Amino acid sequence: MKKIRLLLVDDEPDFLTAYARRFKRRNVEITEASSGQQAIDHVRESEFDVVILDVMMPRMNGLETLRRIKAIAPDLPVIILTGHADSSVLIEGMDMGAFDFLLKPVGTDELYFKVLDAVRTRHRGQP
Amino acid sequence: MKTALKTLFHFIHGNPEGKREATENFINKSEDFRLLLSANGKALELMAEMTDAARSGQSSGITRIRAYSVMVASSVRQMIERLCRMAPGKYETLRDGFNEIVRDMDQAFAGPSRGPLGPSVIRMRDLRAIDLPEAGSKVAMLGEIRAELGVVVPRGFAITASAFHLFMEATGLDDEINRLIQIHDGTTLEELNDLALSIRQAINLAPMPRELEEAVQEQCARLGDIRFAVRSSALGEDAEQTGFAGQFISKLGVKPAQVTDAYRAVISSMYSATAITYVRNRGLREDEMVMAAGCMEMIDAVAGGVVYTRPPVGGGSDAVIINAVPGLPCAVVDGSSMADSYSVDRATGKVTRRDIAEKEIRFVLTSGGKVRKEKLFGGKELAPSISDRDVERLAALALRIEEHFGHPQDIEWAKDREGLIVILQCRPLTVCEEAPVPRNESWPQDEESRGLAILSGCIPASPGAAAGYVVKVETEEDMFRFPDGAVLLARNARPQLSALLPRAAALVVEFGSSVGHLANVAREYAIPALIGAPGAVERLSGVGVITVNGTNGTIYLGRRKKMIQREARPAARVRTTDVGLALERVLKFITPLNLTDPESPDFRPEGCRSMHDITRFCHEKAVAEMFAQDNRPVSGAFRLAGERAMQYWLVDIGGGTTVEENGSANSSQSIGIESVRSNPMRALWYGMMAVPWEGPPVPRLDSFMSVMTSAAQNPALEAGARNDMGERNYFIVGSRYCNLQSRFGFHFCTIEGFAGDDPNVNYALFQFKGGGASLDRRHLRSRLVAETLEKRGFIAEIREDALFARLEGVSRQAVEQAMAVLGYLLMHTRQIDMSMADPGMVVHYRDLFEADIEELLEGLPDELREAGCAP
Repeated sequence: MKKIRLLLVDDEPDFLTAYARRFKRRNVEITEASSGQQAIDHVRESEFDVVILDVMMPRMNGLETLRRIKAIAPDLPVIILTGHADSSVLIEGMDMGAFDFLLKPVGTDELYFKVLDAVRTRHRGQP
Repeated sequence: MKTALKTLFHFIHGNPEGKREATENFINKSEDFRLLLSANGKALELMAEMTDAARSGQSSGITRIRAYSVMVASSVRQMIERLCRMAPGKYETLRDGFNEIVRDMDQAFAGPSRGPLGPSVIRMRDLRAIDLPEAGSKVAMLGEIRAELGVVVPRGFAITASAFHLFMEATGLDDEINRLIQIHDGTTLEELNDLALSIRQAINLAPMPRELEEAVQEQCARLGDIRFAVRSSALGEDAEQTGFAGQFISKLGVKPAQVTDAYRAVISSMYSATAITYVRNRGLREDEMVMAAGCMEMIDAVAGGVVYTRPPVGGGSDAVIINAVPGLPCAVVDGSSMADSYSVDRATGKVTRRDIAEKEIRFVLTSGGKVRKEKLFGGKELAPSISDRDVERLAALALRIEEHFGHPQDIEWAKDREGLIVILQCRPLTVCEEAPVPRNESWPQDEESRGLAILSGCIPASPGAAAGYVVKVETEEDMFRFPDGAVLLARNARPQLSALLPRAAALVVEFGSSVGHLANVAREYAIPALIGAPGAVERLSGVGVITVNGTNGTIYLGRRKKMIQREARPAARVRTTDVGLALERVLKFITPLNLTDPESPDFRPEGCRSMHDITRFCHEKAVAEMFAQDNRPVSGAFRLAGERAMQYWLVDIGGGTTVEENGSANSSQSIGIESVRSNPMRALWYGMMAVPWEGPPVPRLDSFMSVMTSAAQNPALEAGARNDMGERNYFIVGSRYCNLQSRFGFHFCTIEGFAGDDPNVNYALFQFKGGGASLDRRHLRSRLVAETLEKRGFIAEIREDALFARLEGVSRQAVEQAMAVLGYLLMHTRQIDMSMADPGMVVHYRDLFEADIEELLEGLPDELREAGCAP
């Protein structure tokens, strides 16, 4: 089965490693980015099926990163995953076209199914 | 999954171009519908959990409540997005209503707004009671008695609430701490210790704002090279102060250059595992906890202790109670040592009783400013800590303080090397009015309790009687394992134990003082308590349930009902907590359902006033968009013919039936199952029909009632059941594809599968949600189904009663088998949630399912071959 190419963006190394480890067993190929700028560089250079994006990051925050990712790859689904229960980020992110908004902590299964949903939606050729 | 759909489209070739596009649209719509249903389930589930939390008053922090609210909003927003995609241009205004409700929800969370920041530090000599909101009561009250009564208090200054806010905001710590609480979502000791550690690291890493650092150093410079005690002075209601006090630390012997480090440590102690537990148990908002600190000169005490201006138990008595130890007074406060005890007549000011204890240790201040424990020997153990004259001076001073505040006081004092009495702290004292019966006086024994006393002559610290399983608490881990409603048994009256008192039935402690901190908190919670119960740990270990009589100082075996009734005292007043209030306020924008009638003219986006309304609206409209007459998919929906098939509709997206080949049917006609060529649908149908369903189990009365209440409480479920469209069960089929959306009463289910020759693109998925029985039974039912599926290679996840399961990357035969199993489970797990209260029934069903499924799978290859599906 074809691997899902996932870009995981978070400035917390622990978080990146934990999820990367759990997802690798599930047919997901993970690229890690520890800042918004790094994420954008990755999106420019390679193809991804889905992005998981943190919000609170130093320098470029998640919403700005989302805006720039959408400018480069409008139909790349982006799942916001944040430790910040902030409704304005929810609204702004969804308005910018995020696929979904999840709060940490999220179980690996739940996140994995969300990733599958997002990938499916994209390949149905929706905006 | 991407290739799966490509392959799927590949199988649909041969249709006229327009029709194919319409078919793709229909598949997209069906996928959006599936995601909408999933979000709907999650939103309703979260709402139910929030409602439960509000009803039960169970402890949870504000961070959690806020997270739940945002998660509800996120699920609802997801429903809106899906609905807007299903029918572009029709429901866009839902977003405006949604935004408005979210704004209202945020308002509901907002605490009282704070004024501009004041000074970071205030000198002791400038402090008065009125400065309590800045300095915390501990320090403000000292300033007050110094200024108003001329009482000697330590030199020093307060680091204010404004300083705390400055530190939190300038460094972004407030956001970071909320985030850490949010992501460390747990309640075990290990989880809370992890959280406390992360917060402490964050606090240690945050730079101290320069103006705060400078203000503190300026104060230190003014006071010279002295050693400080840096003490917590948390802000909160007066009544909370006592409960809090035991949780926060004081740093003693602090050098001037280390004051800000000590300040960080004091702030960190607000987030220790026990403090957070206490805050949650009391329903306080962790985002509104504010720590002020007192930085005071260490008193090189020759003696110290605590004064209670009235006996805390039996306030009618006219006595001042004074406890004293040699050295620093910490030993009295934390209950680690025996103390001398005196009574002073309030009218004459004379000592009426003195009780000199054998004191093994004392705490002293070293020249370097450290606190050191010393053993007492050579007769010093038995010497009185202070003279009677000191006792009377103290009593007089304490009564002046009481008079000033107009309320009995709990006062910590020290006597310095010059003989000066210095007051370190004063706060209101909780007093129980009933006098305890002296322990040597005979107590009327009722029949019930005679001969059952296992320990008597203990010192009553809080009156009343209560029973519970006795649980010894020695370590921090014991604290977290402590069960609700147990009798708390401990060796020392450590103040940290106060965090457990809201959950304890009674308290028994071997050593400590009935006038100590822990006793005070026990009285505040109206929990019977005995402090000073030598031998209790040994005598009570492993005896099971005991009754603690905090009035006569006796402990009885078993539950003494009559005694408990006779000693019944008014329960500590229950107050709506801060978190409870915020939860109630926010629920007003979440759970009320105003849109009850889909036929009403108000049933439109503008009519949505709560998250529940939007949920309901989206669900109703999505069902209509999916299945209503004029929204039917291109090839039309056929009704499946046959006695057992009449409630099923079928949509062929290409190659799923023989209808096109014959060119004979149109959408108004019925087709028989024999015309279906889709192998996953044939397998699913076979699974549904192979074993006749015996009908629902006879519900027991309580389950039946539970169905009725569920239906009454959850109109969203009921509404779907009433709805004609929702009642329909749709198969969407292609030659290798099948999707079933079905609804039987309260149960909602999606089954989908693709079974081609390339294992890489094959999959089966199952979503299952709802039921009429109580949540725990529905959860058990989901658990049972999940087990059955996991045995067959599915990855299954359960959230409450909802089940999501997927199987991927397997052979065509494996998907066909999976579809047959899903069909069987769909038909045979209906309403068994009713029977799930009985563990025997769970086992019964598990065995029955395994046997049925085994038999069923044996017949499957034949069925597929006969139907012409097998290659």
